[in-house]
Amino acid sequence: MTTVDGRHTIDREAERIAYKPPEIRHDTQGDLSTEERVEHAMHHFVKNFNTQTASYLDGCLHCGMCADACHYHVRTDDPRYTPIWKIELFKQAYKREVGPFAFFYRLFGFKKKVTIKQLEEWQHLLYDSCTVCGRCSLVCPMGIDIAGMVSMARHGMFKAGLIPHELHETAKKAAETGSPLGVTAEKFEDRLEWMADEHDVEIPVDVEQADVLACMSSIEIQKYPESMAATARILNAAGESWTFRTDGFEATNFGMLSGNTEWQKEATLKLINAAVKIGAKTVVLPECGHAYMAMRWMGANMYGKPLPFKVLHISEYLADALNAGKIKVKKVDKSVTYHDPCQVSRRGGATKAARDVLKHLGVDHREMKYGGDYNWCCGGGGGVVTIKRADELRHRVFKLKMDQVEATEADELLSSCANCRQSFDDSQEHFGWKYKMGSLMEMVAENLEEDNS
Amino acid sequence: MDLLEFARGPALQWAAYILVAGTIWRIVGIVLLEKKPDYSEPRKSGGYPAAIKVIWTRAFTAEPFAKATLYPKMMAYVMHIGLFAVIFLFTPHIVFFEGWTGFDWPGLPNSVIFFIGVATLVSGVALLVRRLTNPVLKLISNFDDYFSWFVTLLPVVTGLLIPVRALFRYEDLLAIHILSVALLLIWLPFGKLGHTFLVFVTRGTTGMVFERRGAKT
Amino acid sequence: MKNKPTVGEILQAKGVSRRGFLKYCATTASLLALPPAMIPRIAKAIESARRPSVIWLSFQECTGCTESLTRSAAPTVEGLIFDAISLDYHHTLQAASGDQAEAARHAAMEENEGGYLVLVDGSIPMGNPGFSTIAGISNYDMLMETVAGAAAVVSIGTCAAFGGIPGANPNPTGAVSVGDLVKDKPIINVPGCPPIPMVMTAVLTQFLTFGQLPEVDKYGRPLAFFGQTIHDRCYRRPFYEQGKFANTFDDEGAKAGWCLYKLGCKGPTTYNACATVKWNQGTSFPIESGHPCLGCSEPDFWDKGGFYEPLSTGNFGSGAKVAGAAAAGVALGAVAAVAGRRRQAKYTKEA
Ligand code: SF4
Ligand code: SF4
Ligand code: SF4
Repeated sequence: MTTVDGRHTIDREAERIAYKPPEIRHDTQGDLSTEERVEHAMHHFVKNFNTQTASYLDGCLHCGMCADACHYHVRTDDPRYTPIWKIELFKQAYKREVGPFAFFYRLFGFKKKVTIKQLEEWQHLLYDSCTVCGRCSLVCPMGIDIAGMVSMARHGMFKAGLIPHELHETAKKAAETGSPLGVTAEKFEDRLEWMADEHDVEIPVDVEQADVLACMSSIEIQKYPESMAATARILNAAGESWTFRTDGFEATNFGMLSGNTEWQKEATLKLINAAVKIGAKTVVLPECGHAYMAMRWMGANMYGKPLPFKVLHISEYLADALNAGKIKVKKVDKSVTYHDPCQVSRRGGATKAARDVLKHLGVDHREMKYGGDYNWCCGGGGGVVTIKRADELRHRVFKLKMDQVEATEADELLSSCANCRQSFDDSQEHFGWKYKMGSLMEMVAENLEEDNS
Repeated sequence: MDLLEFARGPALQWAAYILVAGTIWRIVGIVLLEKKPDYSEPRKSGGYPAAIKVIWTRAFTAEPFAKATLYPKMMAYVMHIGLFAVIFLFTPHIVFFEGWTGFDWPGLPNSVIFFIGVATLVSGVALLVRRLTNPVLKLISNFDDYFSWFVTLLPVVTGLLIPVRALFRYEDLLAIHILSVALLLIWLPFGKLGHTFLVFVTRGTTGMVFERRGAKT
Repeated sequence: MKNKPTVGEILQAKGVSRRGFLKYCATTASLLALPPAMIPRIAKAIESARRPSVIWLSFQECTGCTESLTRSAAPTVEGLIFDAISLDYHHTLQAASGDQAEAARHAAMEENEGGYLVLVDGSIPMGNPGFSTIAGISNYDMLMETVAGAAAVVSIGTCAAFGGIPGANPNPTGAVSVGDLVKDKPIINVPGCPPIPMVMTAVLTQFLTFGQLPEVDKYGRPLAFFGQTIHDRCYRRPFYEQGKFANTFDDEGAKAGWCLYKLGCKGPTTYNACATVKWNQGTSFPIESGHPCLGCSEPDFWDKGGFYEPLSTGNFGSGAKVAGAAAAGVALGAVAAVAGRRRQAKYTKEA
């Protein structure tokens, strides 16, 4: 037996020894009765059951391998963070209500009705501890897209009024003011003007007819305003006929993140309508991951028909413009590592674009070990960065990212997502970390060979 | 009618009918649900070639996950390949399939099959132990997982016992073996063993959806 | 039973040497799985046994079983044992016929009341008593009358033991086995089509020696001979284990003497002593001559699929029924999907 001598006390809370699961708190919105909450949750769960989700929910092997892909489980060893467990209620509803053998599941009670207690418990699992990064979807031997179903399960949670307050408030603000951070049209114009002056760049606003509609994320407008100037300089240098629109500038979509499909649709249609109005041929999305998912892959489905324009993430636009020689950049003599925003790379399919851009910049690009499509998430996606109570957990999982970045020993860390940037900045501050996240687009803008001839 | 005749006759026949009906039931029940059209502009063509690609590629672990999933994957490989070998490469089984399909292929010596059967059993037990001890698996497992394990390994055990002649007479064990196979066939479409056919649907769907986006599959 | 000579005396009179006799006793002991120490006891018992009275009834049969016993190339000890017993009635072998024969049967029954053995070959037709009669007596009546005073009944051959060929589907005569009719006497089944002669005599020997009937399996067969399968003792077994099979009767495998499993060998499910005792004074047994075992000592061997169909062949049922199952699956799936969609709609309306 060893004894503790008092001089060398054991810190049982130290990360190495113990993991203290966060206290689970759940928030409620609205004054629905318990039954109504369950009803609403069920309604919006079952709405999502189609051939694709059904095959996924019927196909799971319970092999548990997805746990090994999820940063939350890897960093905590808490089995509840097993990805498929996060959608257990969704699955339960499916098997009981809609699956091919639903009748028997009900008859024999193999799957019970989802209860309010479960829903409350799952709030933490569906929101605080999933960034919808989709890493788990890649390990699954059955190829089940778990992340997609987390998003769907959130529909039910939102309607039941059972989501984290902060996310609800942010989404509500976005629905009411058009921006999650309350950036109104006037404020947007103000800040554009400020940037135009500061950087001496021409920024077209509310042009009636233009080929390219550029948009922004409120995070950039508020926290990284240089992005606006950088976007303008690039589009100007490329000689595009382009504009920002005050009636459609917000690319983030908190309706999608929080699980409110109506709000998601509203935000998406606002942008689409603005683009249609000016006859845009291309919509260039800002440095934002989920904006890309919302418009590039879900936009047309919200619209109910194919979009009359192309949708490009800014990194894709840059890659195209550089490849076509529309813009040119000076060589940058630095080593750089690039953090892939999950929704753009892994889930969006634009992984190559950023690499093309980096090649043109001539940097010493150091790929992270298992970077690209297998990248660890910043930990702030899926709206998680807004959830205050999830901070401790978020910082904890960020360690994985830090290790991944540090191993490259690159001079600079870049990404192409303001949301990633925001969560990196927060964690950087928390840990006093040496890396400061930069923007790919800004690096291009700073090194443009502006054609003055 | 003795037990063996019952096993080889009505038991196997009904098992086959239930297998066919249950499998189609499950697939049709899934396929006839709503299908969401996707209006987004595809980056790549996707389609069935993508489905086939992912059905194949997901059989292998992506390198980033190789270390973390090494043990269960290895065990699962042994078990699946083992099951394949004992089902399809054991001469009496081949004779069985030949009588049914008219096709015949070379088998492995019985002693080799016996060892493969033992390896299959060992891997199956290893996976069960893992399921009973690993916190993740303990949490997410349900009756289906354990029962499916049981009905999958029961034919392996009964099959292995036939040459050992440990407890029963040959034809009794053969009958029990066939009955255990019948049980497996009957359960297969309804529980998680449905992955034998659903794997094509799930992997295929993911292949089509994500390849279309040009995203990682 | 007063003046009857003992079996030993008869054997001596027939010129069987002491040595040959002891060899027979040793063989029998080993067949019965008795320790060698028992050999003298067997010899003594046989020698001093009074000739037991035996009545042999033949019903729906082909005489193959009798042939098997009597058609040996040279007189054997087994054959002589039969001489030694008092075969008081056997309508194939006895000289008497008609009323005389029946009178002999009745005489034997009365004289040995409660002590005689009844051996039966052939099955009994229950469809119509007229299907098979002897001296105008139906097989059923004769059987029941004869066994009434018997000590035990031995069913010789598969027909008597299990119904055999007459009892095979569609069984036009309604043939049944002895065991189906006789319920209150011990019955020993010595099936086979025909049974091995040695097995028949060994059973009798045991009865003579110990006055008791042998231990039997669930089909009433003496375990000493029917305790192991042909496959268990088959000399081609190593080929089975190596997966070396003859695919046709004239391929390389057949010539090389490989396992006959694929040609329908029923050895693995057939309990009999052919592989060890063999036939024709130990010359060979069917598998040795290149033919798969038919499983003749098993119940219903005629109706267990084709002789040349491998044992593991299963029956998945007709294609039409499988198609029916598939159609049912489609219907159930469609119903399930509609029900699922209904519930989706129901929830959508409620919320
Ligand atoms: S999507 Fe990402 S965060 Fe969510 S469960 Fe999967 S791996 Fe974990
Ligand atoms: S990896 Fe896939 S099959 Fe395995 S438990 Fe997770 S979701 Fe289910
Ligand atoms: S020939 Fe028949 S009895 Fe002999 S080993 Fe082959 S299957 Fe068994």
